[in-house]
Amino acid sequence: MSRPSSFSLRGRRALVAIKDERDVTIVRRQFERLGIECVAWTPGEPVDFAPDLSLIDDEFLPLLQAAQRAFLARSPVIALLGTETPSRLKLVFELDPASFLVKPLRSAGIYAALVMAFERNERTSELKQQILKLEQRLRSRRVVLAAVLQVMHSHALAEPAAFALIRKAAMEQRKTIEELSAEITASGMLPRATG
Amino acid sequence: MTKPYVPVGIICSQSGPYQAMGREILKSAMMAVDEINSQAEFDFAIAPHIRDPRGIVSEYHTVCDDLIRNVGVEHIIGCYTSASRKQVLPIVERTDRLLWYPARYEGFECSDNVIYVGASPNHNVLPLVRYVLDNLSREIFCVGSNYVWTWETNRVTRELVSAADGHILAERLLELGESAVGHIVDEIVRRKPPIVFNTLVGSSSYDFIRAFHAGTKAAGLEIPMLSCSLCEPELAIVGPASAGCITSSAYFESIRLPENRAFVARWKARHGEDSSPSVDGQSAYVAVYLLARALQRAGTSDIAEVQRAAAGYRYNSPQGPVWIDGGNNHCVLTPRLAVSNPRGQFDIFWEADAPVKPDPYLTQLDVVASPSRETSAGGALPNAPHLRVVK
Repeated sequence: MSRPSSFSLRGRRALVAIKDERDVTIVRRQFERLGIECVAWTPGEPVDFAPDLSLIDDEFLPLLQAAQRAFLARSPVIALLGTETPSRLKLVFELDPASFLVKPLRSAGIYAALVMAFERNERTSELKQQILKLEQRLRSRRVVLAAVLQVMHSHALAEPAAFALIRKAAMEQRKTIEELSAEITASGMLPRATG
Repeated sequence: MTKPYVPVGIICSQSGPYQAMGREILKSAMMAVDEINSQAEFDFAIAPHIRDPRGIVSEYHTVCDDLIRNVGVEHIIGCYTSASRKQVLPIVERTDRLLWYPARYEGFECSDNVIYVGASPNHNVLPLVRYVLDNLSREIFCVGSNYVWTWETNRVTRELVSAADGHILAERLLELGESAVGHIVDEIVRRKPPIVFNTLVGSSSYDFIRAFHAGTKAAGLEIPMLSCSLCEPELAIVGPASAGCITSSAYFESIRLPENRAFVARWKARHGEDSSPSVDGQSAYVAVYLLARALQRAGTSDIAEVQRAAAGYRYNSPQGPVWIDGGNNHCVLTPRLAVSNPRGQFDIFWEADAPVKPDPYLTQLDVVASPSRETSAGGALPNAPHLRVVK
């Protein structure tokens, strides 16, 4: 299934924490042009919806409440930088921003920052899922190894042949190698040698 | 009593790869300036300060800087390519001046210091590609000049075509001013695509159209060509080979409106019976009028006041009613499709039934779902689907 294009921003809702009124006006106007709903926010205030994106002015940093940081981490964050000093950038890193804008804001650059933030967020989510999957597979390697050893003993096979046998059985039963290995080690049931 | 003068900068290249269009823009802008300066309706006169960047991108920055620093203009009309507009943009933003940009462009920009008078992408590329997908083919061969206009037009075309389960058969790019087009025509003749979309500009486009016509004719092929920029003066430059090109534009000389008939008559009286106005030229003419009316209403050349006075003000121009959308500084105008004929004119076969709101970021288009599906939220729709066939 294809995911929605990061270029299309209409209908998204953004939490916007900006101090300077001129910057707020520019963001509001550009968001209106892009079809994005802008919800003004001051860090510390409760939020009663799940934003698709947050714009956080570095004037509000550091965010003292861990719960706030965790809440913002659920969707992409764009940091608004007033200065490029390392001390301020270190505070910005806490937000793990997907993109940034330099103050004072102008309309040019906002669209690109938004698109990059959404795209970066999508790619990061995909990478996180891949890492999760790989970690699960890594954990299950112990089980696979145990199953291979069991089949080596019971069928008097060398390791490559035992593994091939398990893989073939897994394919026939439409299971993953890890699932079948777990069954072998748990129940002692061996895949029936075929062919 | 002598009227006070308002200095206005006009930047258009009179030489270089797109000199023909630069000259058209200048001719049209000057026609509007002369008309305005002779009308009692205006209590000021426009003093045009013309600069020629000769098609050299970096020169646009230089001439714009000169107009602002040395002449002291607050309003500038001109630029043709997006590359030239991007050169001028930082200066007008930094010095808080206003650029009145006449050309249709690829969108995805919204400066507070630019009035975009030409067509937005939802005015030109969308109706054209939609027409092709609905009536001609889902496979398109693209050839264009290697710069942002082509890149973005091709990107939008690809999204629309892919959403309709079609294919972009090729994307061939040539540098601006490149005249070696034979290899692309050879490829087209060999592969026989059902449609060719031409986003080349200036002399490259003219060379390509002639070679394409000769190559396909020799091979006994009839392949329709698409364009979002071809105009009457270019048909005259290209000659008979230009006939049969399906073109999307907000302006054609053949528009049957009293304002256009009068405009064309004045144009021909000024430039000769054989001469034709162009879409970008007419747009420059509209830009000068929009500026002049806003100056008159504002009573000052201060750009914030002028912008306020200009927003939403309806001008019955040669292309029909035009007004500036105060929300995004782009113009509301009427998209049209036409096919070029052997007489160097366009036969209009479709136009939107009402002026269409500009959508520079294509926010109202949902290409993921369907090439023709758009939201119904927000009142007046960009790309209104209610079409009217023009006979």
